[in-house]
Amino acid sequence: MKLAAADFKSKAATNLANPSLQRALTRLQERFVGARAKALAELPAVAPLRDAAADIRAHTLENLDHYLTQFEQRVQESGGKVHWASDATAVNRILLDIARAYGVRRVAKSKSMVTEECAVNEALGAAGIDVVETDLGEYILQLANEPPSHIVAPVVHKNKEEIADLFAQHHQRPRQTGIPELCREAREILRPKFLAADMGISGANFLIAETGSALIVTNEGNGRLCTTLPRVHVAITGIEKVVPTLEDVSLLLRLLPRSATGQSITNYVSVLTGPKRAGDLDGPEHFHVILVDNGRSHLLGSELQPMLRCIRCGACMNHCPVYQNIGGHAYGWVYPGPMGVVLTPSLAGMSGTIDLPNASTFCGACADVCPVKIPLPDLMRALRTRQWQGQMRSRGERLGLAIWAAMAMRPRLYALATRVAARLLQLMAGRRQSIKVLPLGGGWTRVRDLPAPAGRTFRDLYAERHTRQINRPQEDHSPFAVSPSAKRGQHRASEQRHK
Amino acid sequence: MVSVPIETPAAPRPLRVGLFVTCLVDLMRPRIGFAALALLERAGAEVVVPAAQTCCGQPAYNSGDVDASRTLARKLLKEFSGCDYVVAPSGSCAGMIRVHYPRLFEGLPEREAINDLAVRTYELTDFLVNVAKLSDVPGRFSGRIAYHDSCSGLRELGVKQQPRVLLAHVPGATLVELTEPESCCGFGGTFSVKFGDISARMADNKCAQVVACGADTIVAGDLGCLLHLEGRLRRQGDTRTRVLHIAEVLAGDVRGRTSAGGDRISEAATGERT
Amino acid sequence: MKDDRATVLDRIRSASGRRAARLDRASNTAALPKIEGDLAARFAERAVLLSSDVVGPLAEADAPRAVADYLRSRHLPLDAVCWPALATLHWRASGIETSARAARGDDLVGITGAFCGIAETGTLLLLSGDQTPATVSLLPETHVALLPAKRLVARMEDAWSLLRREHRAPPRAVNFVSGPSRTADIEQTVTLGAHGPYRVLIVLTN
Repeated sequence: MKLAAADFKSKAATNLANPSLQRALTRLQERFVGARAKALAELPAVAPLRDAAADIRAHTLENLDHYLTQFEQRVQESGGKVHWASDATAVNRILLDIARAYGVRRVAKSKSMVTEECAVNEALGAAGIDVVETDLGEYILQLANEPPSHIVAPVVHKNKEEIADLFAQHHQRPRQTGIPELCREAREILRPKFLAADMGISGANFLIAETGSALIVTNEGNGRLCTTLPRVHVAITGIEKVVPTLEDVSLLLRLLPRSATGQSITNYVSVLTGPKRAGDLDGPEHFHVILVDNGRSHLLGSELQPMLRCIRCGACMNHCPVYQNIGGHAYGWVYPGPMGVVLTPSLAGMSGTIDLPNASTFCGACADVCPVKIPLPDLMRALRTRQWQGQMRSRGERLGLAIWAAMAMRPRLYALATRVAARLLQLMAGRRQSIKVLPLGGGWTRVRDLPAPAGRTFRDLYAERHTRQINRPQEDHSPFAVSPSAKRGQHRASEQRHK
Repeated sequence: MVSVPIETPAAPRPLRVGLFVTCLVDLMRPRIGFAALALLERAGAEVVVPAAQTCCGQPAYNSGDVDASRTLARKLLKEFSGCDYVVAPSGSCAGMIRVHYPRLFEGLPEREAINDLAVRTYELTDFLVNVAKLSDVPGRFSGRIAYHDSCSGLRELGVKQQPRVLLAHVPGATLVELTEPESCCGFGGTFSVKFGDISARMADNKCAQVVACGADTIVAGDLGCLLHLEGRLRRQGDTRTRVLHIAEVLAGDVRGRTSAGGDRISEAATGERT
Repeated sequence: MKDDRATVLDRIRSASGRRAARLDRASNTAALPKIEGDLAARFAERAVLLSSDVVGPLAEADAPRAVADYLRSRHLPLDAVCWPALATLHWRASGIETSARAARGDDLVGITGAFCGIAETGTLLLLSGDQTPATVSLLPETHVALLPAKRLVARMEDAWSLLRREHRAPPRAVNFVSGPSRTADIEQTVTLGAHGPYRVLIVLTN
């Protein structure tokens, strides 16, 4: 997908003013946040599971080449083939080679964020191959020619009226208005596509090294259909998705659906190992896996390595107050929300993504809910640090911060500057409650007032009162100057009351 | 729970608490600093206010200027080296020192001294409840308070029950819980300026909840949050909702802080605004 | 010119400083929830929560009648595609016509067994094979699964142990099925019956 993160702020502003999107985002928050909490409450203890999940992922990343080569060997032993793609171009080249080798004209595709990343649909389309997305959300996006706005609920930004319009426009059928009717219509339209497809393309939520299996979780059944009916199945996913054993993946599966949609388990979990066996009555004749790097290996061995633990649950964006207010399209690439502001600069480059890691208050809600304990705010800060060291942020910002730091390091200069500033601000406020316009402070006052300050700094006032205290220790009636003996008496009194 | 006196037999002198007032309090709301001072003294501490203190370095740190952060951290370390504790009326500044200073100095020679400073550093209400075991406060109040859990204090330092425990000791203060007390108000330091539209919306969401729960006052432990929320309220035409720092409420220092807010220091300070 | 495999592996290895794999790690079984007590009751409870219909336990010989009753009560056709492995049960005697083959796009009822059932989540585990085609549980609108109660295990991990004991290697497809297919893509409203079955009947047998 083409990176379009440079106009993050204007897209965010547009989305903030879009009532239909705002309603959709409220719905998302209400459903997913509550559902996740309820589902996790069913587990006797979440913290040990999170620790174990983080350990499994961290351990795998520490030994990634070992597990990937083990995976490759097992796939080969079961009759499948593994391809390695260093970047998006390689992914598409490999995919087209496979398609050509098997005379593929029609593809049925189940959801894969990696294929969005690599613009697979465009590459196939350009080669004259017909691709239909079969995940209902992705299918709707395909009709609308829009990118996903959430990694788990890709069409969260659309309401049913908009979807009904799209169907009416594309299906040559009378416009349905009920949600079950819309779903039934999609089923009827897409069923023949599954049956007619030569090749099924899927992602893989996990790759299991021990058995050479691709694991796919879905609710709709389209994942199973894409990987069972066509004669060729290609699973495309990132190199970081490998997991050592079946038991490891079972542990992770306790957290993934709960964190994502609040389900204790997704409707279907498919563990696919190789092509159909001798005697099997259904299944693909050919099983291929494309392992995608596309920048991931670059994070290994760096402070950003924890980002590769991500299991794509979407909990971070569901809980992120920024995402909750602006939606996914503002982030300008495949991955929105907290995981997106880390992954996008990491994979798609630091320039063109300057705003992303800065668009956070570091509230920490994301890190709280990440099932594999990725320290997302720390990673955002690490990216900000790289930006700073690479002088990638605006001169105004760098100057402003340099001045602030220089003054903060010089107490006397700081005292003088703040004395002046406090007085100036007080004068600007006059008799009013707050300041409406701040020269040089437009960023603040564009959207809010600045409450009027005291006019004197604490430093100056404290120095004054402290001097007064020293000069007249017994006569001071200020509530803040308590003499040492009175202090002790007061405290003992309170001690007695509360024993 | 028995109140453990700070003045223990083994240490006959009261403990020295260094008050880190924070740059925002210093510049905008000194009375928060004085309120904190009063509360700490009521708890029996000897409070010192190192005169050369300026900024903990968080703006530099969160912008990615690691060098400036370290320089300011070293400065702070020196200034507060004579104190048994360092207390700040701010979860984000206390969190910067307690949680992030050690990370800044990993592998560096000052690491041990910085760690020592970090474990001695507390947010105000956390200190009052868990170290000083203060159980009564001078404050009196009248109104319905919605307490906003500032993010750093909450998630970095575990400040959640402490302010509520203390507010329960303030006669006349009725605490009403927001539906989402823990959701970010949208300040986030430079975020408030860089991403003003999103920041303002987050404030509006929080303020809507305050109104919905019937509170007439917002209280929090971080002045950044408070200036941002109050600024947005006034811009939206709400001149009535009070916005106060918890130290002010606990110390009873809310005179002159009527519904109009504002903050004038003068010897004859009374409700000077309408 | 290096090929992509060599390139990618080289990048990975250089990031770790080209050291040998460190594969020792602590076991994580202590973190797993304990599932104890009556597995059949737990399985049935969870399966129903996931919108499956559950009947039994009843004798396997009585299963065809129970299935026929279910289909009739819901006005569903009595014409089913069926796992070859189950073809010998007396379906016709209960009024159900069965075809033992893989499913086609227009089949409306599919009858399968199950390798095992997982009590923790109310999940069926189905293995693909020459007698157990995967499409039978997927293409039809109604999926009927006969699950022997003695094939209930507590957790997914226990299912893997069972699989390892009874099979040399995993078959092409191991499918965990937890109820009818569903989607919530439209306005986050859960709708049963997406591309897979609209309903799942689980017949516990003993």
